[in-house]
Amino acid sequence: MHIRSRQNAAVALAGLAVIGGLAGCSSSTAPSGDADTQDAAPAPESGAEYTDGEYTATGDYQSPGGAESVTVTLTLADNVVTAVDVTGSGSTPNAKKFQGEFIENISAEVVGQPIDSLNVSKVAGSSLTSGGFNDAIDQIKADAD
Amino acid sequence: MPTNVDASPNATTLMFDAIGTRWQIDTADPLSSTLRVGIADLIDDFDRTWSRFRPDSLVADVARSSGTFDLGADAPAIFALYRRLHDVTDGAVSPFVGGRLDALGYDANYSFTQRGIPSPAPVWDEVALLVGTRLTTTRPVSIDIGAAGKGYLVDRVAELLHSAGHTAFTVDASGDLVHSGEPIRVALEHPFDPALAIGVLTLGGGALCASATNRRVWSNGLHHVIDGRTGQPTRSVSATWATAADAATADGAATALFFTTPSELSAALPIQGLRMFTDGSVEYSAGFAAELFR
Repeated sequence: MHIRSRQNAAVALAGLAVIGGLAGCSSSTAPSGDADTQDAAPAPESGAEYTDGEYTATGDYQSPGGAESVTVTLTLADNVVTAVDVTGSGSTPNAKKFQGEFIENISAEVVGQPIDSLNVSKVAGSSLTSGGFNDAIDQIKADAD
Repeated sequence: MPTNVDASPNATTLMFDAIGTRWQIDTADPLSSTLRVGIADLIDDFDRTWSRFRPDSLVADVARSSGTFDLGADAPAIFALYRRLHDVTDGAVSPFVGGRLDALGYDANYSFTQRGIPSPAPVWDEVALLVGTRLTTTRPVSIDIGAAGKGYLVDRVAELLHSAGHTAFTVDASGDLVHSGEPIRVALEHPFDPALAIGVLTLGGGALCASATNRRVWSNGLHHVIDGRTGQPTRSVSATWATAADAATADGAATALFFTTPSELSAALPIQGLRMFTDGSVEYSAGFAAELFR
């Protein structure tokens, strides 16, 4: 299982929080010190300046199916995460399933841009309704006045 | 209009209203009158079988009395897809929510007057069994294939175009879109403001279907996407999009995404999905290849 995606810092850091949660499951058998960090690790203070580069950490956790691990690689540029690479060991079917769910469900905040400003040939949204539906709504609104 | 179709001197656009929505078919080559008639007949036949709003439809018969009904050649594929959607959403997607939509006021007369207390849709295996094309019911049931039927019909129209030799076309049934030919860019409409998009998807071929609760709303949070387990309109997810090779699957997936996550659904069906919540955040499967605006 190996999925690479590019997204903003907030999303990537939210992902890391989940990794931390997974690693935390293992506290009795696999101390979080097992996670190793390559390259320079910046101090995790809010507002801190981070050094550009690629960072990798591996979190181990104990699942009912045995020891599992998840490796996360982040690329930082100008304090923004420009790439996230998550690899799960996923040696058991359940591990594959849960890691897959974590890896594949990507969350983000989005903003709207005017469709007029986009060079598109189609719009996909809710169904436009034919006359009957809208006429009926208009009638009900008129009756309610 | 698709850009590749615009570029053709023979480009044709056909627009019409059918099965309760607006259709637009763009083809790079002219549509023969035979093909236009064929498309109209196909849609009319489909409507006569499946429309919950036509007293002369087959599903109207099924809603009036129990028995065995031949639902025709499309039934096996539609019910097979519904079964998968039903199972992956723990019964939330059901073809038997017609009675619930009626009770909420989304009925043949567009009364929009709620009657009774919301209750779950009938349990599939207790009320109906499809063998071949024949449906046997234990009691009258109101079938509504709104979750995937429009996409299925879009596929059938696309098949007609293909078999008539068309290779570059877009069939857009307002929310359910199948495209063949050079890639087109499709805006993903913002569910809170139809003048805005939250992203752009480049569709090389296949289907993109969208569902949202913003247009078919009548009052106080009542809308047309019904959870079969409660008989209530869904909450929290405000819009969904799904891509698949065919529109039936993508359309059904767009409905299922109101009840299950994109990754869970993409593990069960050959789809990629994106959904937006009422708080404005989105969630998508890793393979959903759209440019989203951050």
